[in-house]
Amino acid sequence: MTPGSTLAIVASSECFHSMMDPTLIAELEQALGPANVFSKPEELLLYVYDGSVEHGRPDCVVFVRTTGDVVAVARFSNQRGVPIVGRGAGTGLSGGALARNGGVQIVFSRMNRILGIDFENQRAVVQPGVVNYELTRAVEHADLYYAPDPSSQKACTIGGNVAENAGGPHTLAYGVTTNHVLGLELVLPDGEVVRIGGKTPDTPGYDLTGLLVGSEGTLALITEITVKLLRKPEAVKTLLAVYDAVDDATETVAEITARGITPAACEMLDGWTLRAVEAYVHAGFPLDSAAVLLIEIEGLREATEAQALAVAEVCRANKAREVRVARDDRERELLWKGRKNAFGAVGRISPSYYVQDGVIPRSKLPATLRRVNEIGTKYGFEIGNIFHAGDGNLHPIILFDPRDHEQFKRAASAAHEIMEWCVSLGGSITGEHGVGMEKSEMMPALFSPADLDAMKRIRDAFNPAGLLNPGKMFPLGKGCGETRVRPLPVGTSAVS
Amino acid sequence: MSVLASAALQQIEKIVASANFVTDPAALAPYEVDGWRPTAVARPYSPEETAEIVRVAAAEKLAVIASGARTKLGIGAPPSQYDLALDLTRLRRVIAYDPADLTLSVEAGIRVADLQKVLGEQGQFLPFASPFAKSCTVGGVLASNATGPLRHSYGTARDFTLGMEFVDGSGTRTKSGGRVVKNVAGMDLHKLMIGSLGTLGVITSANFKTFPLPQASGTFVISYLRLADALALRAALAASVLSPQVLDIVSPDAVPFLDSGSGQLPAERWSVIVAAGGDQRVVERHAADIEQMAAQTGADNFAALEEVARQGLWEAVRELPATLLATSKRVVFWKISSLPGSFAAVVSEVDRIARENSLRAATLIRAAGLVYAALLPTEVDPEDDPATMNRLQRAVAQLFARTADVGARAVIEWCPLELKRRVSVWGPPGEDAELMRRVKKVFDPQNILSPGRFVGGI
Repeated sequence: MTPGSTLAIVASSECFHSMMDPTLIAELEQALGPANVFSKPEELLLYVYDGSVEHGRPDCVVFVRTTGDVVAVARFSNQRGVPIVGRGAGTGLSGGALARNGGVQIVFSRMNRILGIDFENQRAVVQPGVVNYELTRAVEHADLYYAPDPSSQKACTIGGNVAENAGGPHTLAYGVTTNHVLGLELVLPDGEVVRIGGKTPDTPGYDLTGLLVGSEGTLALITEITVKLLRKPEAVKTLLAVYDAVDDATETVAEITARGITPAACEMLDGWTLRAVEAYVHAGFPLDSAAVLLIEIEGLREATEAQALAVAEVCRANKAREVRVARDDRERELLWKGRKNAFGAVGRISPSYYVQDGVIPRSKLPATLRRVNEIGTKYGFEIGNIFHAGDGNLHPIILFDPRDHEQFKRAASAAHEIMEWCVSLGGSITGEHGVGMEKSEMMPALFSPADLDAMKRIRDAFNPAGLLNPGKMFPLGKGCGETRVRPLPVGTSAVS
Repeated sequence: MSVLASAALQQIEKIVASANFVTDPAALAPYEVDGWRPTAVARPYSPEETAEIVRVAAAEKLAVIASGARTKLGIGAPPSQYDLALDLTRLRRVIAYDPADLTLSVEAGIRVADLQKVLGEQGQFLPFASPFAKSCTVGGVLASNATGPLRHSYGTARDFTLGMEFVDGSGTRTKSGGRVVKNVAGMDLHKLMIGSLGTLGVITSANFKTFPLPQASGTFVISYLRLADALALRAALAASVLSPQVLDIVSPDAVPFLDSGSGQLPAERWSVIVAAGGDQRVVERHAADIEQMAAQTGADNFAALEEVARQGLWEAVRELPATLLATSKRVVFWKISSLPGSFAAVVSEVDRIARENSLRAATLIRAAGLVYAALLPTEVDPEDDPATMNRLQRAVAQLFARTADVGARAVIEWCPLELKRRVSVWGPPGEDAELMRRVKKVFDPQNILSPGRFVGGI
């Protein structure tokens, strides 16, 4: 969230009317059926938002169910010069699914069939609208599961996961989405359908699948995804380590990493955040602690026992006042519910919050949280931390009131300083949420003009007219005035 | 060579200094690729020099093939042009190593073996385990996507490469990815570079996540008369909660190439080779469970190897392609991507084709989803017999077709030059060929990097 990003919708009701010519809307209705095309202002309103602080303004929303539908929309866009923006469940945290420049929002949530599960070979083929957790549920009876587990997994779609190369707590041991996707069916912006990769490994030629995963919907629309499934581990041990000082928790993580112990997940919640969460979730987080670590060990019984002992030892050596082991599935699920619903819990105590996604080397974690705390103090915010400590992927949470413009600006500045710190340590501006609209202006901090140019040339090779998800990933280079819009005053009806 | 081209080479000589610029024919011989000898070899010291060289080459359309230890130059189709060899072995620095973060950045020309020594001092390693291990370079392993038995548990380069710097076909230095273990900023251009055979860019450095060396390990050999039973063990392992690091199955005909006479692999048997690593109790658990599964699947033999035998066998398995190439000038070495459920069908086709064409077949199945198959002339064939080449050619056409019929995808990794002139080693192009051509145009519009060697004639 930087000065150049789109902020909110103009108070005027005009922008909530579709800017699209009614004959174009009629064309889409003809291709997809009127029930699958929304163009009334009140229908478009939901699609102005996603999980981030950004906003978009679609002129039309269409629902697709088949590859043929997607081809029709792509051809329409190509022939009429209308931008199109893909969207799954709209849970994204970087504005990737928002129609920044208007146009057609192509929603995949109804294209949600699991097309085939190959249990013997541990493969599944799904449509993009399949909800992440639903895939795991569909295969768990066979002791299989789909590993990438974003916190929003009960709502987010696999298509969205592929576009952003989504992570989650268990990526520490198992990798992110790109490590589990083997092939895709694509619809190019001109409507051509191409299959890349496949069920078998090492498809000859360039790793196009590797390029597409994480391309944030700027290269092609994805209509089918082939993934690998993992076998459920024999044993799981979930530990909660409780600390009286944030530093002790971060030093624990640094030492676990340095010792070469790889838990399946290693999450941290600071005291401030866990108190907010506990009031809502009642997961059993100790209210008087400064920080907790939620560490999960998975694998063979023998391996988990040995690892859990080693981890507990490191926790205690770093002054953990208590190390609890979840006694059964119920306790384990409650702890995870606490972690995964944290942002929702925070939402109860603030009109809005801004979550970041920076990454730093694990060895620099203690210094980083101290710096985040300093930055919070400097700008007058209490910054909560609930994040994937095990892979150095921070999620500082800054609470703000979007109606208070000055506070919002301060929040943006604080966020910017945190990102600068991450970059200065050789880290990244985004570990899993994607660049989208939110961090596009910070890309030059990581990449040279030549680097960005190479990525743009790839984008142009797939998306020559620039109509697929425009205005994402790359800096717009615009000044504050051109794209920022005033926040919505309270009590104003957005729709006349 | 044209006057302008010669002038360009002179410019390149100035960039690296004469001591690092070779034109003597005898010294050029090692840089030959499929019968093409370059006019010169340049050995840059830095990524900046590398970029300058490529820039000059692009201006005069001089075709460039980059190499490290030159162990895998035989992969791919013959080049359509080859003017300059770019030897990257002087770029061999460890740029940054953070053992506490398990991340690493190295120049591409460093030998994998040397790098492993550096990492070993910190109790870490990179799970490449690809052939020619004693001499190969990081850049070569990445450019060819060379893999080995450890892919079963650690994945391949794309799974632990965090970022890369490369010089594209116009001589522009470009970076992709980063240095931390989690990063989705920008597009993963480095994934395109992996396995690209140098056709998109010259890799100058790469960033990796490193791994702790396992505390203990065990290797088990389980032998069977019939492939079906060996595959039953594979299926049992896949359905279990065990997590072997390595799971390979070797055919009876492959045994002579893997067993240096120490008898770890019984003759005339299919052998399943499993490795387990981690804590001592994990290894013991694997040993116990696998022995039980072996009995249940009717194995002839179950052996847990001692340390020395274990090392010997692993080296042999890892080096199999190198061993085969050293044994016969006429081996056709295939890499067939297949789902585990199709392994039996693939091997059956390979055997049938071998019989029909009076050839030998040695196969190695990698449980992650590959069947490596070597087709060789039988011992009685005189080496120069043209009839042998005809039979190999016929076998090639049959193997491409029949593996496709059973849902697998074959490519030829190594074969005699004469055969490359008659067949396409990559097999028929897929529907993604046009997208690949677009990608090539983005990075190398002048088509000077390794031209003609890749899929679809790229």
